[in-house]
Amino acid sequence: MALINVAAKEIHGKIVYYGPGLCGKTTNLQVIHGRIPQNGRSDLLSIATETERTLFFDFLPLDLGKVHGFTIRFHLYTVPGQILYERTRVAVLNGADGVVFVADAQRDRLADNLQSLRELAHNLTNQGKRLTEFPMVMQYNKMDLPTALPTPVLDRYLNTIKVPRFEAVAVQGRGVFETLRAISKLVVNKL
Amino acid sequence: MFDHLDPDLTSMVVGAEESEAISACLDRLMVDTGASYIMLLDRAGQVLSWKGDAPRPEMTHLGALLAGSYASSREMARLLKEDNFRVLVQEGARERVFTETVEDRWLLVVVFDHQAHLGLVKVLAKRATQSLSGVLHVVIERNHDRRSRITGELRRAAVDTIDLIFSQDDRATESRSTDKKQWP
Repeated sequence: MALINVAAKEIHGKIVYYGPGLCGKTTNLQVIHGRIPQNGRSDLLSIATETERTLFFDFLPLDLGKVHGFTIRFHLYTVPGQILYERTRVAVLNGADGVVFVADAQRDRLADNLQSLRELAHNLTNQGKRLTEFPMVMQYNKMDLPTALPTPVLDRYLNTIKVPRFEAVAVQGRGVFETLRAISKLVVNKL
Repeated sequence: MFDHLDPDLTSMVVGAEESEAISACLDRLMVDTGASYIMLLDRAGQVLSWKGDAPRPEMTHLGALLAGSYASSREMARLLKEDNFRVLVQEGARERVFTETVEDRWLLVVVFDHQAHLGLVKVLAKRATQSLSGVLHVVIERNHDRRSRITGELRRAAVDTIDLIFSQDDRATESRSTDKKQWP
């Protein structure tokens, strides 16, 4: 739930990057962090395992500056993608104002994407959100790989509720900001 | 406690009057406990109010981590068939962190050193959460009366700002000025 602090003139929103393991959630945040001007950059906080897999979450505060005197801040989180951390994902998803579902476009990851998407729908419903109204966008990542499924196929299997979706190659920065812009606007429009 | 909370309520406005009440409550707790920092967070880890002299980025990161710890312990409670773990205590060589939930919506966080007694902090924090609970009730009631949280003008300006900041998107990055808020 977004927080609007009238006295401090601040608007805070929480955006969570969700998706199966190794789909590129952390990469999205690393690219965003890398492109924030140094004078306004906060640290990217990562709670990872020894093998650099996300253990709890990555966290990046994003300051969009002042609008009509109000400072707008988004807090970007990733969830750990591995099956083992299902309850941790529930914890991180708590209080989210918007979700980016990062799908791994490779053919052999389709089942993992579907499982993760079903879990997301279940968790959001349990938190009292209405899926059709909740701000969500989808990112098809790794579209440069020869094993990537074509967008219409991914649409048919993954985007049945027809949310805005973007093709991406996060590791090269492609599609990362297009996705962020779309989810940010959806969140602001819900305030 | 807040079963009547509208699931469509996507944002919560904390008005100036309620902010003052929160601030006064935290000030009192700061003096009474001799704490180093006190924070009030929402469940998502966003800082509603804080006292102490830590720089802002540190507070933001602390807020995210504390909310994560609390959310994690709530899931643990669920698995152990507990109602909830209302209180978290983290103890270091120099500092201790005491976190208590305010009606499962907000988190009161007290950071204190070994000169303050944990028992005293517990008692005073409990009293403070009762006061804050009253403020939270007012905030929720007032939010129910609001049809829109922000004006259309502010919303449009925010959307325009997002477009402006991310307008370059994935195109060339070399010519960008780092002084402007136009990142990609």
